[in-house]
Amino acid sequence: MPLACLAAPTPEPADAKALVASLKRPAPARTPFAEARFMKVLDKPLVVSGELAWLGGDKLERRVDKPAKEVSTIADGEVTQEREGRKPRTFSLKRAPQLRILLDSFVALLGGDASRLDDAFDVKLGRDADRWALTLAPRDPSLAKQIVSIQVYGSGNQPRCMRMNEKDGDTTIDMLGDLAGHMVAEPELADVIAQCGGAM
Amino acid sequence: MKHARLGLLILWLLLLALLGWFASQHLKIGTDLRSFMPAPDTPDQKLLMEQVGEGPGSRLLLLAIDGGNDVQKATWSRGLATALRKDPDFTQVVNGDFDMGALDENLLPYRYLLSPTLDTQAFDEDYLADQLQQRLDDLSSPAASLLKRLLPRDPTLEVLKIAERWTPPHSPDVREGVWFSSKGEALLLAQTRGAGFDPATQGEAVEHIRTALAALPGGKDARLTISGPGYFTVLVNAQTREQADWIGRISTVGFIVLMLLAYRSVRSLLLGALPVATGALAGIAALLAMFPEVHGITLAFGFTLLGVAQEYPIRLLSHRRAGESAVASVRGLWPLLLTAIASACIAYLAFYASGVGGLRQLAVFTISGLLAAGLSTRYLLPHLLPAQVRDVADTPGLARLRVWLDALPRPRWLPVPVTLAVLAMLFLAPGPFWQNDLSALTPVPRDLLMTDARLRGELGAPDVRYLLVVQAVDADGVLVASRKLEPVMDSLVKAKALDGYELASVYLPDRATQRARQAKLPDKATLDHDLDAALSGMPFRKDLFAPFVSDVEAARSLPPLTPEAFARSALGQRLAAMLVHRDDHWVGLSTLSGVRDPQAIGHALHATGVDVRLLDLKDASESLVAAYRTRILYAVLAAAALLFVTITVALRSMRRAWHVLAPMTLATFLVLGVERMAGIPISLFHLVALILAAGLGLHYALFFERDTGDAAEQRRTLHATIVCVLSALLVFGMLAWSSIPVLRAIGLTVALGVAFHFCLSIPMAPHVRED
Repeated sequence: MPLACLAAPTPEPADAKALVASLKRPAPARTPFAEARFMKVLDKPLVVSGELAWLGGDKLERRVDKPAKEVSTIADGEVTQEREGRKPRTFSLKRAPQLRILLDSFVALLGGDASRLDDAFDVKLGRDADRWALTLAPRDPSLAKQIVSIQVYGSGNQPRCMRMNEKDGDTTIDMLGDLAGHMVAEPELADVIAQCGGAM
Repeated sequence: MKHARLGLLILWLLLLALLGWFASQHLKIGTDLRSFMPAPDTPDQKLLMEQVGEGPGSRLLLLAIDGGNDVQKATWSRGLATALRKDPDFTQVVNGDFDMGALDENLLPYRYLLSPTLDTQAFDEDYLADQLQQRLDDLSSPAASLLKRLLPRDPTLEVLKIAERWTPPHSPDVREGVWFSSKGEALLLAQTRGAGFDPATQGEAVEHIRTALAALPGGKDARLTISGPGYFTVLVNAQTREQADWIGRISTVGFIVLMLLAYRSVRSLLLGALPVATGALAGIAALLAMFPEVHGITLAFGFTLLGVAQEYPIRLLSHRRAGESAVASVRGLWPLLLTAIASACIAYLAFYASGVGGLRQLAVFTISGLLAAGLSTRYLLPHLLPAQVRDVADTPGLARLRVWLDALPRPRWLPVPVTLAVLAMLFLAPGPFWQNDLSALTPVPRDLLMTDARLRGELGAPDVRYLLVVQAVDADGVLVASRKLEPVMDSLVKAKALDGYELASVYLPDRATQRARQAKLPDKATLDHDLDAALSGMPFRKDLFAPFVSDVEAARSLPPLTPEAFARSALGQRLAAMLVHRDDHWVGLSTLSGVRDPQAIGHALHATGVDVRLLDLKDASESLVAAYRTRILYAVLAAAALLFVTITVALRSMRRAWHVLAPMTLATFLVLGVERMAGIPISLFHLVALILAAGLGLHYALFFERDTGDAAEQRRTLHATIVCVLSALLVFGMLAWSSIPVLRAIGLTVALGVAFHFCLSIPMAPHVRED
């Protein structure tokens, strides 16, 4: 009997935990990103690129270099948005559920904190050889009303992409790390997904 | 005989029951402080009278719910808010569950008239292009989800600009959709309909809050903290009543024991209570006949003053000789008793002449009460008393005491040193002479004030003390004036003179401003053209902004939004509380928060030339109390003069009148001097208590002055006086130990007064004639 137990494959939750732990990076962790937003109000996707940084704790910085310089900082429950030539804008994190989800998932992943991730999301892991996809569905009902899920694509211990699916059908995909350089000016959703490693 | 007596008793009790029933059916106790205040003189006082407890700040109750997790607390908060919003006792309940900046759906096109954008901008191609580029940037930023839904209808984000204007500068955190404090309590603000300093309506409001919370699922486990002026009113009222009741019970027992010791008769004790009861009920009946509403303070003061009436039956009981019928005894006593009653009543007439509603009621109550108590002691009580009684003149030790008292020296010069001592004390006494701050007499416990400050800070709730008052002929005039004040107030906030303000014009601009903005809106053709031009080269979907175009078109032909129309919206109540119609003019009331430099605010407001004033409610109420006290003092002076004339006429001798009035006057000032020397500032309550003590002192002096030449009768006088003094000392001495300053003020003053009156009236009475 003990032998049979050992021989069984690692159950999924434990697997997800191990994966999240392997994603841990020491703060501050920075990565280039390129983002494409597919929105119903727009005829074509919006593309921006820059650098995402986890500054430790619940502090995130999102720096956009293209098409225009803009820095957004999340710290102490407040979001501050600074854009060249404009007055900085500050609003509460509570008013931006997208950001809260981004913060929760990002910090938990980079901190390798599987239990925090589990607190905020229903976590599902899919694997295909070296590639993997984590699907995070927010547990908070009010957040779930706006964000259906976040998908993190990666291989080995490298996350490659983050995708956010909104309730209204709008989708945002961030290419991370080296992949960020591969974003085209007017991407198609299917192409971007394929570049990230495909849907699982 | 026995039957007749029983019949009379039944008749009397029946009469009392009837009066009691009548009173309970018709007595409407008013708790509005205003009816007990003198007519206001200054504009500030007038405003205060209108605003006492009705200012928006003083009607706010601050609520904090604790217990359970955040979800549970948020559910309670929502449930409580829903329940209270249906309750007519509350005009507004907010808990953060709706966006303070939310404009009603049907008012949405009005955003172009409400937002200040058009004051400095035109909706032309340049502006629209710049705005659309910004929205595009917004869509790629983290704020995208905030703006996405607004975009088609409101690309210039007027709704957000309005929300920014309408949101208080410091609003609490929102968790689970409702306000939370930093300590993790769910926070609510409830504005009551009733005045803040009216304990009756506030008590009901507080009760409704508690019941509503307890009725929610699991609501019994919720820990509710309530704060705010209204709650303090309720609390202080309850505390005062509780302590007064508790002390009252002890002193009642003491009083009964004293009466039993003095007269050794349960029947005498029970019957002796009837005249005072008659007086109280007759007083209430007289009030009911003359006034539509009786003020609570009138009754409280009135019952205090009626304490004098307990002397009447005591005198009758003590002065009865063995074997003498009570009727005969009262006949002998009556001239003196009548003098006492009449002089007190005549003195109280001065209160009636004061012209203050509450004091008039007090006069009516006391005069009719004293007359009823006196007359029933004269004409009813003697017929009921037992035929045979013990002569109190034989009370052991009494004779020796009387002999000792008679042997005391009675120096004619005694008034001189006493007067000098009183003057010295009054001049040397530390601290202010008068207590103008009525709230100092009913202090709110310190920890409650701390809680209040904490919740007020977290909720950004306004100061209770300061109010900005704008006056104009109509509501629109108030809005025009308020608009002129906005830049001034903004610079004051910047200069840290205060934290924040709320002006009616922030919610609703005046008509002219709305019209001016309206005139700047482009017509459909122009807007279509400019929008198309601005959109060229942008990725926005075609026709995305059709709702925007149609809203602008609608806004062009809207009639300006009036306060009445606005009042129907979610935020309307807020505006309604700030715009008040008074007789022939309108008043705009603005609350301020975190006032640090009232002087700077006053100066800046004065410089605007607008009809606006910074009202310091504390200052205004203190000046009102001072004015009130002046009235009482005049009434007391007039009463003293009347008393002097009455006593002199009744005794037909200046010399005898001196023996009665001198000790009474000296003792009264002696109490004042001693209290001042102890550092106690004198309040209205001290004054009323002094009057009661003087009334008692008058009796002592009158009876001691009486020259009967009968040693036994002298002993009876002493007996009656001692019983009176002891009972007064017992009742009011107990009150003097109270921890509530208002009870202590009354207790200490009367107890000291009784002691001084007694001690001075003996040595200042003429020597007993040697037989």
